[in-house]
Amino acid sequence: MSFAIELNNVSKIYQGKKAVDNLSLKVEKGTVIALLGPNGAGKTTTISMILGLKQPTSGTIKLLGGSPKDISVRNRIGAMLQEVSVIDNLKVAETIELFRNYYSNPLSLQELLRISGLEKEKDKMAASLSGGQQRRLGFALAASGDPEIIFLDEPTVGMDVTSRQMFWDTIRSMADKGRTVVLTTHYLEEADSLADRIVVINQGKVVADGSPSQIKAETTGRVISFTAGTSVTSEQLLALPGVIDVEWNGRRVKLQSRDTDRLIVTLIEQRIDMKDIEIQSGGLEDAFQAIVHSTN
Amino acid sequence: MSQSTNMKATLAQCKAELLRTVRNRRFVIFSFIMPVVFYFIFTNTVGGNTQVGNVDWKSYYLMSMTVYGVVGASITSYAQRLSRERSQGWLSLLKITPLPSWSYVLSKVLSQAVINLAIIIVMFLVGGLFKGVDLSVSTWITCGLFIFIGGFSFMGLGTLIGSIKNADFVQVLSMICYMGLSILGGLWFPTDTMSSTMKTIAHLTPTYRLGQGAWDAVAGVSIDWGGVGILVAYVVVFLAISSYIMKKQEAV
Repeated sequence: MSFAIELNNVSKIYQGKKAVDNLSLKVEKGTVIALLGPNGAGKTTTISMILGLKQPTSGTIKLLGGSPKDISVRNRIGAMLQEVSVIDNLKVAETIELFRNYYSNPLSLQELLRISGLEKEKDKMAASLSGGQQRRLGFALAASGDPEIIFLDEPTVGMDVTSRQMFWDTIRSMADKGRTVVLTTHYLEEADSLADRIVVINQGKVVADGSPSQIKAETTGRVISFTAGTSVTSEQLLALPGVIDVEWNGRRVKLQSRDTDRLIVTLIEQRIDMKDIEIQSGGLEDAFQAIVHSTN
Repeated sequence: MSQSTNMKATLAQCKAELLRTVRNRRFVIFSFIMPVVFYFIFTNTVGGNTQVGNVDWKSYYLMSMTVYGVVGASITSYAQRLSRERSQGWLSLLKITPLPSWSYVLSKVLSQAVINLAIIIVMFLVGGLFKGVDLSVSTWITCGLFIFIGGFSFMGLGTLIGSIKNADFVQVLSMICYMGLSILGGLWFPTDTMSSTMKTIAHLTPTYRLGQGAWDAVAGVSIDWGGVGILVAYVVVFLAISSYIMKKQEAV
């Protein structure tokens, strides 16, 4: 199996402080992966190292099987960095056209203007665009070489709701074409709706790694709630396998569990007196907070 | 990467550089309008029989102003473009693209060559057509070539100034360097009008040394290799300091 991205025991030390701490990560081709973490967790440093913009203090990094500094590898990747980059005195279409010429198999200018939603702005000076529009131009530049892997560092910061929605659609269609997408984000909703794998980073380490539903289940677990009959007691419920916590509100009971599928079967087998049964999963927000707090 | 992609990328890069340059108002003002206007003002106010050494004033001053325009293009607009690229993260973005670094450097040099050549041709046409500067074909070519080739040395100074990320500081510093070196180097007023101390200082400036090649050619004096040596020494120093600064900035 060849991986799109492979990090082995990568560390980065800045002035004696470990920004990235012995991080290993393998990303399969065609994955949409979200790196999640609080500010200063090491997400951007990790991306910069994968892109070859920063040198790891120790460890090895492989991008598409080679070095990120190989021109042939760079021809197959694209990136939107966190820092907004526009060039002075060039129009939007001219800037995109310039980037298209760097790659051997670029997407067409029309296509790039369309996916970035900049068709109307194409004759404006790039420097005169609004912050959100500059982000979209950055996206067009990242996509200009029709990359196999696209890196998006906080892509939707400063975008309005419509732009964000349009942007998500574009990412999904790239994923459908089998492209690997690596994004970092603060918006959990974004990670939840786009990614098929979420890696939570805190203090330079991977603290959780899995699909959005796995991450949610692993941390907060899920909740079964029902209205209990008079015969039901706390002791009885706590004795059931898989129950973490019991919470009463009148006759309404909330059971916390890592595995609600098994628990519901057990509850029925034990003939517990239940009415109005509901099963809920915790939000990714809760999961994220829980992970970050437990690793701080 | 194929050779044709590299070629295509280099040409696109040159085209972008040229577009950015002609759209830069400071470039148009300092490299075209100002030298032309200064040339007309100072050839009209100073008498027609005036000579510097044994050269016509209008021929001498045409060379001064051509050098002035070429120097301005490197110190003000080239340095400014470079600084903008650095401060806006454009260079980091380029590092992720397959554009080879040699292609980036080559396109800077090529586009500056086109710009400098354009300034020289425009100035020589102005002098020849409107002021009747009458030089032999070989003198025109020698002067033009010396300014053209020597003009690249100011890319070294431009690179040094452009390595500073603060755009406002770059603007101020480039104006000080540009005006300072132009006046000290005798581009505005010939060094013959200066005191002996000022003349000594003038002879140490790269601007004087670039002008000297053209002034000497007009006067029919053979090339001063010592002067060329001083110019080359400046290039080496400018490039050494700027590459040191850029390495330090990258080492973060």
